[in-house]
This record gives sequence, structure tokens and C-alpha cells, in this order.
Amino acid sequence: MLKKLICVISFMHLVFLFFGCHAQQDQTESAYLELQVWAHSGQEAERHTLHKQVMLFNNQQDEIQVELTFLPEGSYNGQVQAAALADDLPDLLEIDGPYVYNYAWQGKLLPLDTLISEQLKKELLPSIINQGTYQGYLYTIGNFESGLGLYARRSQLRTIGARIPNSPKDAWNVDEFQKILYNLSQQDNDGAVLDLKLNYQGEWYSYGFAPLIQSAGGDLINREDFQQSDGSLNSPAAIVAMQRVQHWIQSGYVDPNIDDAAFITGRVALSWGGHWNYNQYRAAHGDDLVLLPLPNFGMGTRSGQGSWSWGITTTCRQPQAAMRFLEFLFQIEQVLSIVKANGAVPATYSAIEQLPVYAPGGPLHLFIQQLNKGYTIARPQTPAYPLISSEFESAFFDIRDGAVVSKVLDQAVAMIDQDIEDNYGYPNLSHKKSFQNSYR
Amino acid sequence: MTIHRSLSIKREKFVALLLALPALTGLLLFIALPFILAIGLSITNLRLGSPLPLEIVGLREYIRIFSDSSFLRALANNVLFAVAVVPMQTALALGLALLLNQKLRGISLFRTMFFMPVVFPMSLVAVVWVMIYAPGPNGMMNSFLSIISLGTWQPQDFLHNPLFAMPAIMLTSIWQGVGFQMVILLAGLQGISTTLYEAAEIDGAGTWQRFKYITIPQLRNPLIFVVVVTSILAFRLFDQVRIMTLGGPRDSTTTVIFEAVKAGFDQAHVARGAAMTVIFFLIVLTITLLQRVLLKQTYQNV
Repeated sequence: MLKKLICVISFMHLVFLFFGCHAQQDQTESAYLELQVWAHSGQEAERHTLHKQVMLFNNQQDEIQVELTFLPEGSYNGQVQAAALADDLPDLLEIDGPYVYNYAWQGKLLPLDTLISEQLKKELLPSIINQGTYQGYLYTIGNFESGLGLYARRSQLRTIGARIPNSPKDAWNVDEFQKILYNLSQQDNDGAVLDLKLNYQGEWYSYGFAPLIQSAGGDLINREDFQQSDGSLNSPAAIVAMQRVQHWIQSGYVDPNIDDAAFITGRVALSWGGHWNYNQYRAAHGDDLVLLPLPNFGMGTRSGQGSWSWGITTTCRQPQAAMRFLEFLFQIEQVLSIVKANGAVPATYSAIEQLPVYAPGGPLHLFIQQLNKGYTIARPQTPAYPLISSEFESAFFDIRDGAVVSKVLDQAVAMIDQDIEDNYGYPNLSHKKSFQNSYR
Repeated sequence: MTIHRSLSIKREKFVALLLALPALTGLLLFIALPFILAIGLSITNLRLGSPLPLEIVGLREYIRIFSDSSFLRALANNVLFAVAVVPMQTALALGLALLLNQKLRGISLFRTMFFMPVVFPMSLVAVVWVMIYAPGPNGMMNSFLSIISLGTWQPQDFLHNPLFAMPAIMLTSIWQGVGFQMVILLAGLQGISTTLYEAAEIDGAGTWQRFKYITIPQLRNPLIFVVVVTSILAFRLFDQVRIMTLGGPRDSTTTVIFEAVKAGFDQAHVARGAAMTVIFFLIVLTITLLQRVLLKQTYQNV
């Protein structure tokens, strides 16, 4: 037991392990340039596509050879942190949305501003630039975006006579939504008509439910200077929003969805979900499926954004070469093939134009409307975000289990603010200047 | 002669030390050193990957931990879990071992069946039991309880009800772990000479008396072993919690290890995680020492 116990706390072991493994992989001198790339090991189709893209890139030209390594998604951040401690980061790194600002603050990432072509920058959705920017510099770009909304079946909404919103502007307001929940539950066997993906863990809760708080007028943290969560996450607006969610759960409207099949089996009429659910839902319900904006809690509907994105590390000796590979990944055919594999929203306008599902009238047009018209809100651009997300997840669980909302949010706020204080407000350490000089 | 003898003792000591060296090195490197590191880390403000300078902050993390209601709850949960599971699991293991110690046809099949859950990884068992505890009347546990209570049972969301979550995890743990203790006690039972029972029978001892005066005393050492090991396993509780409840509902199933992992890895507060494990180590050490004193192991008859 003791051994295990110590393993847990002794991060050093991990470091040694990594150091040991990677020391042998040091690049040997060769004619071409070797580029180390780390990516998360996602769905099989996605992995397969990225692998094919790397092979294609390697065969297309003979100056750069990309060496791709997949790391398991669950421990991705831990492995990256360990590699960073051992000074063994790859050249190009895939980074999940929550960690972008933390890595940038830690000085692990190189600003892309001087590397990226104007042409590519113009092609990107504003949300991509927004998510990748920290303290005025662009650090990461994603080749796909995420989308969040409420899936429903037209036929069921019609039977209860509910209005079907067709743009973010006419999202249901929260009272309307609760009435719909009530009406739907009257026709349902067990009364559970809403799937909130309570079977998910981790980032889902901040991603999926912070928009509710924002729609009510609160937020996870005060975005003026990112120094305080007090007054935002425990604001009356945030409390009311989370009390509503708790009310839905306590009224029995929400299916626990242990099998992740609540919506496809028709057990529930509404499913709070993301772009990643679409293919499965479409296969189950065909044209009856409709994507709706999340309910409006007062300030208009809000939605989430941001997904995995690419960043060049400060240990990269050839940032231009890394950027060349990135430019390749952002070519229209490559963006189309990756989103075909993972179902995400393409990050470039030209790719979006190619896909009828996102065109006006298309089933997923809502995602584009939300992303383009300012209905989505980026994660707070602060290194404290991973902690905020973890605290919010705990708070959500407590709220689900019936705790007093204001008390739970106060606790989360206390932990977040203490962390920010312990880190002296996450001061800007301006690594970027020295690093920028090194490759100019 | 005496000089000779003391020399040979010295020699023996040297050889013994030499032989123990590989194990000692391992102990030192993988247990003592990380523990010392943990103590060192716990008085700093170390966080994973932070570019800010490392500072010594003294007992700050310890003070915070002891005013953190989640951590205190975690400690209480660990104690509750051990106090409930250790006697239950030991008694159940003994009962099973007695049942499976019969000379029947196909008894090894039954033994294999009862031992099987031990072979499954805890993570797998936990996932399966999440399904068993599914809420709603169609959940396996709910419908089972409904059948045996002739329909009076109200369906529960076991893993999200503060009242049921901990017992649910206990049941899963006992189900998974009891086979191991059973095998050890079974081996102990088979080591008891049948002549003792025969003699007792001739003396007119009944089944209960034979159990009380022969089986239990003869099983003393295996029982002590089982109790100690089960206590340690109980304090180490993590997998089930991580998979089934994430410490919820409202901290009712959180454990010290779970809190330490959450602090260290999810929230990058390495120093806090280290402080938690130091406290935890001291507590477990005390309990283990206490048990050793109270249940002094005898080495005769083994």
C-alpha cells in the first residue's frame, strides 16, 4: 500500500520515467528535418485520419518528416506536464481547450503571430482566434470547432404543441423550456425527458453549463482582469441558473443516462449535447432530429466553443517547419477529412462552405450561427481555468445531489480565488519576448 | 572458542545484510525516498508546471487541509469504510471458507466461482456494478430488491443518494475482495489436523464447540493476516470511488487518496496532495502498529 501511496504523490517518478523513455529517441542527424508531433488518441476514425494525413505530408515533400505520437486522452495533460519538466516536449503539440492558457502562461508555447500566414488567419472562424489568444498573442489554432446545443425530435415537440426555434435569437426562454419539460413529461413513461449527459465526466460540466450561467448574466470568473471568481460564479444570476438545473433534476425530468443511449433509444425527448453526438443521433432519428439553441436565461442564449487545437512549443527548433505542417492540416481537403472523421465543425470558412449540413437550412446551421454571431463564449483566458473547471465539476455534482446551490458555489469560489491568490494573480511572465528573439 | 563464535556471528550478520541489500535498496529508493520527498514537497507551494518560483510556505497546506471539510469527510469515510468492511468481509470470508472446506464432488468448481471476482480488475468490477446500481425500477439492484420485498421497495438512485452510496461501494468491494481472504482462510483450515477434530469428537464436543475451541484458535494467524491486509486495503480505497461516484454525492464517498489525487493531478496542487498523503501515512502507520500490538502474532504451529 505504501508503495502505491507514494507513487501517487511522487510526481518525480513520472518524470524519471519519461526522461528514461525519451532520451533514447533523440533525433539522429539526417538529411531531412524531423518534426515531433503529439496528438491525443481520440476516436479511431480521427486517429486513423490524422495518421493518414501525416503520411501524405511526409510523402508530398522531402524536407520535413513528421513523427506522430498518440497519447491517451485521459492522461494527456499529465504526460505533457511531465515531459515539460523533463524538458522533452515535442515540436508541435495538440492541446485541449481548457489548457491553452495554462500552457501559454507556463511559457511552453510559441506565439504564432509572426508565423501564420495572413491568408490562413482570414480563413479561420473568429472563435478559433479568440480561443487561441492569450495576453494579446495567438498561441494555438484548431482545425475544428465544437458546437453545443439541444437535440430534439420534431414529432414529439409537435405533439405537445411546442414552438420550434429556428435561430439562436428565438431560443426558448427558461419558463417556456420548463413548461415544455413539464408537457413532455406528462406523455412520458417515467417522466424523464431530458438528457444532460450526466454520464460524462470532467470538462463537460463547464463546457455544457457555463453557458447557462452566462445566459443568466453570471460567469465562471470576472473577465475584466481574471482575478476574482467571487461575484461571478456565486452571483445571484449564477445561483438562479444552477437552481433551475437542480430543479429539473429534482423534478425527475432528467434521465441519468448511464448507458449513454437515452436519446437514441427514444427514452428522452431532449438531449443537451455537442457536435460529437450528431452522427449517432441522426442515424437513430433521421430527419425528425432537430438541433435547437440552449434555453435563454435572460441575456439571450449562450453556447460553448473551443476544442483541441495545435500549438508550437518553445522547444521547437524549427517553428517554420512546424507551421508548414500546420498550414497543410488547414488545407481545405485536410480539414474536411478530419471533420468527417470526428464530426466536429470545420474551423475554416472554405471547408464550412463545402458541407451542406452547415449551410442555411442545414441541420447543423445553428452551430455556425452561434459561432459567427457571438452567441458562443470562449473559456476564460486564464491559467487558472483547469482548476476552475475542476471546481465547477465538483460543484455541479453536489448540486445534482441536492446540496444548497449558493453554498456550493461559494465554496467553489473560495477555492478558485485562493488558487489565484496563491499564484499572485498569475502574473504575465513574458516568456514570449525572449523566445521570439531566439528564432527571428 | 568464544572469539570464534562471535566472529561467525559477525560473518552471519554480514551475509544477512548482503542478502537483504537488494530489497533494502528497493525499499529505500521507492518508499523511504519518495516519502521524504513528500514531506519536503508538502511545506512548499509546488504546483504542477508553474513557472513561478518555488517557495517554502511552512505548514500552510496542512492548516488548509484541516479546515477543508472535504478532506475531513474523506478521513471519516475511510474510517467508516474500514470499520464496516473489515469485520464483515472477514466474517464472510470465514463463512465461505468453512462452506467450501467440505469434501464434496465438484467443490473445486465452487471454490473457483467464489474466487473469480478477485481475478477481475477492480475497475471492471466497478463499471459493472454501476450498471447493477442503475436508478429507476429497471435497474438490476432495484428490481431485485423490489422482488424480494414483494414490491414494497421504492427505486433508489444508489450512487447519488448520500445514504446509499457508501454502502453500495462497500458491497461492491466486499463482493470483489472476499474471495481472496476466503482462499487464505481455506488454506488455513486445510492445515488443521483432522486428528484434533476426531479427538474432540471422541471427547463429545459438538459442532459449535469444535469451531470455537479448535477451528478459531488454529486459524489465529491466518485471521490476523486477513484482518491486517483487509484494513490496509480498506484504507487504500480509490478505484471504486473514482469510477462509481467521484467522491459524491456531497463528499459521502470521498476518500483521502481520492482527495490527494484530485488535488495533485486534477488541480495541480502537488504540495497539497503531498501534505494529504503525509497525514494519511501517519494515520495508517498508527493503525498498523496498534493492530500489531493488540493482535500479537504467534509463530508457533505455523
